[in-house]
Amino acid sequence: MWELVLRGIFSALFVASVLRISTPLILPALGGLISELSGATNIALEGIMLVAAFTGVVISAYTQNVWLGVIAGMLSGVLVAGFLAYFHLYLKADLFLAGIAINIMATGGTIFLLYVLTGDKGSSSTLASKAVPVVNIPIIKDIPVLGTILSGHNIFTYLAFILTWLVSVFLYRTPQGVHLRAVGENPEAAASLGIDVRRVRLGALLLSGVLASLGGLNLSMAYLTLFQREMTAGRGFIALAAVFLGGRTPWGTLIAAVLFGFFDALSNQLGSLAIPSQWVQMIPYAATVLALVVYSLRQRAQAIERARRFQEKHLAETHATGD
Amino acid sequence: MNLLRKSAVREFLRILIAVSAALILGFVITLLVSKQPVEAYRAFLLGPLSRFNRFGDWIEESITLTLVGLAVALVFKSKQFSLGAEGQILLGALVSGSIALFVPLPGYVRVPLGLLAAMVVGFLWGYLPGYLKAHLNANEIVSTLMLNTIALKIYDYFLIFHIKPPNAGYNASETFTKDGILPSFVPALPFLADLRARFMSQTNITVMLYLAVIAFLVAYYLMYRTPFGYELRMIGANIKFAHYGGINVKRTIVLAFAVSGVFAGLAGAHLAMGIHTKLIQNISLGIGFEGIVVALMARNNPLFVPLSALAYGYLRAGADIMERSSDVSREMVLVIQALIILLVTAERVLPVIQQRVAARRNAQPTPSLAEGGE
Repeated sequence: MWELVLRGIFSALFVASVLRISTPLILPALGGLISELSGATNIALEGIMLVAAFTGVVISAYTQNVWLGVIAGMLSGVLVAGFLAYFHLYLKADLFLAGIAINIMATGGTIFLLYVLTGDKGSSSTLASKAVPVVNIPIIKDIPVLGTILSGHNIFTYLAFILTWLVSVFLYRTPQGVHLRAVGENPEAAASLGIDVRRVRLGALLLSGVLASLGGLNLSMAYLTLFQREMTAGRGFIALAAVFLGGRTPWGTLIAAVLFGFFDALSNQLGSLAIPSQWVQMIPYAATVLALVVYSLRQRAQAIERARRFQEKHLAETHATGD
Repeated sequence: MNLLRKSAVREFLRILIAVSAALILGFVITLLVSKQPVEAYRAFLLGPLSRFNRFGDWIEESITLTLVGLAVALVFKSKQFSLGAEGQILLGALVSGSIALFVPLPGYVRVPLGLLAAMVVGFLWGYLPGYLKAHLNANEIVSTLMLNTIALKIYDYFLIFHIKPPNAGYNASETFTKDGILPSFVPALPFLADLRARFMSQTNITVMLYLAVIAFLVAYYLMYRTPFGYELRMIGANIKFAHYGGINVKRTIVLAFAVSGVFAGLAGAHLAMGIHTKLIQNISLGIGFEGIVVALMARNNPLFVPLSALAYGYLRAGADIMERSSDVSREMVLVIQALIILLVTAERVLPVIQQRVAARRNAQPTPSLAEGGE
């Protein structure tokens, strides 16, 4: 029995399915990372994904143009993120509660509009919506194992990995990225240096809206080719968890999101055997709780270390001047 | 004292305006999509009172919402944003349901045992993220969300592999026997027999009604008449001040999470042993999040939670009826609900009131504690 599982896991098809399942986690997780680092935990990723997934399907069905659908979906996601940012930054609503409101509104609003447009509350199967194309990489696709793993995914999967790199460049190599992290680290200090905290957070939330909408569009225009009610199924929250599990860094977040994808794919594999899939599905969630603990313990150890070093240096200095 | 009352009136006005604005927006939406908007909205606003069984649905829902709302209010009052109610409800339902199914004791022992077990499990499932937050500074939003999913998986596992009858077509337990179900709220007395029969045939309003009232009194007493409640409110008002004031912040935070779990666990028991009288999949269906709205409309004050739960339960029951009797789907109430949250939390949305209050505040400086004390 175990042999069967192992053979399943080490097959190229399994690795490819992990990548496919991870994509709608990586994209919103990157968005969550950006807003988290600016000091604004975006709990509305879920709602943004849902709205973008819905808008993409509807617009692509009515215009019969897949790219118009993608653009409209991204715009709608940014709009929702902007709405959240406006309520939080300008009307002083609590970010967390406003985020919950956005999620509730997205769930209700999409089902409501779906019913108005199609007369069906379950899915958009009566709408002839478009799917984004699949990319077959020329030479690689003919290499036996590698081809199965790397080629033949939809563009969002490739985008997820490219964007991880872009986000890490943005955060660590551009002045805007440094400002963003400074605002998250210590808003008062950043403000005293002339950084407009509100504007930075607005930008971060809008960016997280772009990335989360890509995740949502991936669900409804690639992973599936229709919109289903509540089709995000908690992925926005898992994405947020991946940010913490990944130690709040881009590559860590990517690895964490893939890990979630791996366990999801694994539980699908085990579903055919007599192992309760619930226990497998539980693993990444328990791992996230553990990661939270490890992260804060490390944080504390670092603080103690800094204090100790400061003390030593300070003592040495007073010694030197004392002599 | 006068000042406190004024601030309470202000809060009440704010919420009233927010709810009215959301309802008006809801009507505008109805106008846009419905062929018979007035009939649809009438069903929404008056439906719950139109029939006896609908009235029952409303009250049952309000009981659950009161318990969850109290749970959320308790922990939110200390500015700890625990979202763990959902998981605590699920596990509360699981243990109370298991006891109702498998413990061969007479009803007058079995039912209290189920309630007690649900409360204990809720306490423990709240204690965990509380401990992680207080002692290890683990973000409580993320940890409680994770624990919710873990609870859901535990619930599903036991339901599917151990509780469900082997040859059942769908994932549900058998209906509990009489000894595992909360008795009707009308006592079994001879002169009340007619009334009892009527309520029992058309509604599931159980003794949980009284327990919810007791829970409400206990929550209020805890928060405003005990050192624990004082410390909890102090932490919510200013955690650093509380710390320098000598409050054991860590212990109080852990307790706030855990005590909140007790109420949520009880809500789970109500779902299992009162409303559904069996264990089903998705038994809680996001009611933990609805509790946040209830607590929010009550401004995290237990005193107003039942009122808020009744109002909110009414909206939900009304939406169900609107869907059944018109062409408007019930999800509209989710939009209204979201608008209420946004309007209530946004401090600057009702600027006229805010400005008046600010002007008054400037005119007579107030001691800072009056704000935190409510």
